[in-house]
Amino acid sequence: MPRPPDQATLERLKQITGPAGWSDDPDTLAPHLVEWRSRYQGKTPLLLKPANTAEVAEIVRVCAAAEVGIVPQGGNTGLVGAQIPRASGHEVLVNLSRINRVRSVDPSNNTLIAEAGCVLAAVQQAAAEHDRLFPLSLAAEGSCQIGGNLSANAGGIHVLRYGNSRDLVLGLEVVTAEGEIWDGLRGLRKDNTGYDLKQLYIGAEGTLGIITAAVLKLFPRHRQVETAFVAVPSPEAVLDLLSLAREVSGDGGVLAFEMISRFALDLVVKHVAGSIDPLATRSPWYVLCDLTVARATAETFMTQALDHGLIADAALAGSAAQAAALWKLRESISEAQKREGGSIKNDVSVPVSHIPDFIRQALAAVTKLVPGIRPVPFGHVGDGNLHFNFSQPAGMDQDAYLARWEEVSRVVHAIVVAHGGSISAEHGIGVAKREEARRYKSAVELDLMRRIKQAFDPKGIMNPGKGII
Amino acid sequence: MKILVPCKRVPNPDLKLKVANGSVDLAGTTWQVNPFDEYAVEAALRLTEKGKGGERVGEVVVVSIGPKDTSAQLKQLLAMGANRAILVAGDDSALDSDLVARILRAVVAAEKPDLVITGKQAVDGDDNQVGQILAASLGWPQATFLASILLAADGKSATVTREVDAGVEERRVRLPAIMTVDLRIIGKKAVRNEALAPATAEWEDTQRLASLKGIMAAKKKELREITVESLGVAGGILVKTLRHEAPPARKAGVKVASVEELVAKLHNEAKVI
Ligand SMILES: Cc1cc2nc3c(=O)[nH]c(=O)nc-3n(C[C@H](O)[C@H](O)[C@H](O)COP(=O)(O)OP(=O)(O)OC[C@H]3O[C@@H](n4cnc5c(N)ncnc54)[C@H](O)[C@@H]3O)c2cc1C
Repeated sequence: MPRPPDQATLERLKQITGPAGWSDDPDTLAPHLVEWRSRYQGKTPLLLKPANTAEVAEIVRVCAAAEVGIVPQGGNTGLVGAQIPRASGHEVLVNLSRINRVRSVDPSNNTLIAEAGCVLAAVQQAAAEHDRLFPLSLAAEGSCQIGGNLSANAGGIHVLRYGNSRDLVLGLEVVTAEGEIWDGLRGLRKDNTGYDLKQLYIGAEGTLGIITAAVLKLFPRHRQVETAFVAVPSPEAVLDLLSLAREVSGDGGVLAFEMISRFALDLVVKHVAGSIDPLATRSPWYVLCDLTVARATAETFMTQALDHGLIADAALAGSAAQAAALWKLRESISEAQKREGGSIKNDVSVPVSHIPDFIRQALAAVTKLVPGIRPVPFGHVGDGNLHFNFSQPAGMDQDAYLARWEEVSRVVHAIVVAHGGSISAEHGIGVAKREEARRYKSAVELDLMRRIKQAFDPKGIMNPGKGII
Repeated sequence: MKILVPCKRVPNPDLKLKVANGSVDLAGTTWQVNPFDEYAVEAALRLTEKGKGGERVGEVVVVSIGPKDTSAQLKQLLAMGANRAILVAGDDSALDSDLVARILRAVVAAEKPDLVITGKQAVDGDDNQVGQILAASLGWPQATFLASILLAADGKSATVTREVDAGVEERRVRLPAIMTVDLRIIGKKAVRNEALAPATAEWEDTQRLASLKGIMAAKKKELREITVESLGVAGGILVKTLRHEAPPARKAGVKVASVEELVAKLHNEAKVI
């Protein structure tokens, strides 16, 4: 059990980083202690911003000796409160943003070594400068950091083609919970020499150790991307459309395939300046997809889809700027929902084939539970991942609505689990889903996880109170 | 009303250009319509329709000078709604603003449009010359950098505005004329034909996308490929590009500790104050 730090420990920690690397000034701390939707607010006696891996290791050693809890933090864009220290104010906050170099790029090996504090967009940029692609892409890419992305095993819009964060890593450098440095920065695509330890740290939400650097996989840059915005009559048609897109565009031609409900689009058009409804036809569902195919192929895809009755209307972006405008619609949904009042969010996944049944059943159950509730489902439908969100009934008191969060999620999650799905597809567990996630794991699985935590972090100092264990 | 819209294809402005051995390597780039030309097409479409989504009256002809695969960009403009397209075979390296204007003058002579609308400049070379040279050589009035166009009901003149340093300038131009447009031309109420659309008419605050219906219709529209020779225009350019160089890399900045130090550096080193 971690303990509150005494003054001597805090002083020792400050010495490690020197004045440039620590703060206890409330104004400096404030932005690090609240998550962007203000749902989680925390306290800490000390914010540390170490300058290199050696400093991180020393910090962890001092904390381990004093049994003081550590919360690692990257860009603070996580959505489940995992990067915010608890209200007890006993944990020190270790922010990695100063450890932010791209150490090297190896274009022939298609790898790049980035330090944990590198902002995702900077990694994408570094890859682009070598005419390569780092495919992880999500709306927070201008702020989130590689360490946070890997620790959250972030997904994003290109999972369909390239997998989650964990599929994009070949090696890690980690400071263990006991303050040792593990140099696992191997750039190998084949390496069967024991347990794959890096995969345990990835997605661990900082509960096993601190990631300080990673070998990331690079890919050839896309020469041509066609972006289409398509009106689709039903979730069934969405799945058929995905099959058709794969068939027409050939192996790996579908880069992204996102589903947007009519109400989600309405909210964006209503609340986000400069956004317009791209189609003349109103439709209950829309798909926004990126295909890495020639324009003629994209046109064939759309005409065939029309012939098969899978789509009612469509538009094709003619330039990068138009494509960006279409993607902005998708990326503005959360913001638009925020302006519409209270929002209850679920980040769930089911096997792709179950999407239509899941949507139908879950919508029926929730609208029965909260009459007038306004569903805003959207998301990475190609991965079976939906952000199954609900805006409050018009005119209802926001707090009264949000008080029903658990009740709504319980109903949604029961249906998710009945379909063999997951109650947290890409945002992780943090504090938000701790109880709920445990409820659906078997005793065997929980026990194995508990033993891993015990083995990696015997003193329980790494991000205490977060994650499933 | 027949409107001719000259359009250029440009490399994707979001891609970082590679400059090597004195020239820009465009091998890996993707191409798109110059944004200002796309706005010109949008303006032309609005001038020939009865309000947003309304019936189209009149003809919009797009013309480009470029290699064969420029047809992809022209097809996109046809899908947006242009009626016909003309592709004059040519290669950027053998063109300058003067030759482009002379070719366009020949196209104007053949097509006899009531109005020519084009972008104020292409975002690759940023030359900002073609519209002006074309107007001068035809002896037509020119109205450049337009933020709005109101076409009179009789189709004989237009009231236009252009943003200048001191504010907004309003002018009336006789038709036929050459107009070049700036980015505000795609504003909701920036463009209207009094003969077709009521004063209340409003469009979206952007250029239209190629809709599926438009893409299918475009397959049946005429895209005529011709040569410079067939227009009776002699080649030869006045401006020759000798070499391209990437701008020097920006030097790393320094952090200053105080306002005093900043002022001292601006004064002693940068010598700007
Ligand atoms: C607008 C927006 C859109 C988003 N879209 C998506 C999306 O499409 N898909 C998706 O999966 N997620 C999405 N997210 C959430 C996503 O998980 C985070 O944006 C991102 O991956 C977290 O990175 P971060 O640097 O902000 O980490 P933080 O939020 O700072 O931390 C996240 C977790 O990682 C831990 N951590 C951080 N750095 C380290 C480290 N170096 N070592 C060990 N642990 C560490 C923290 O303790 C915490 O548990 C979105 C968030 C926002 C705000």
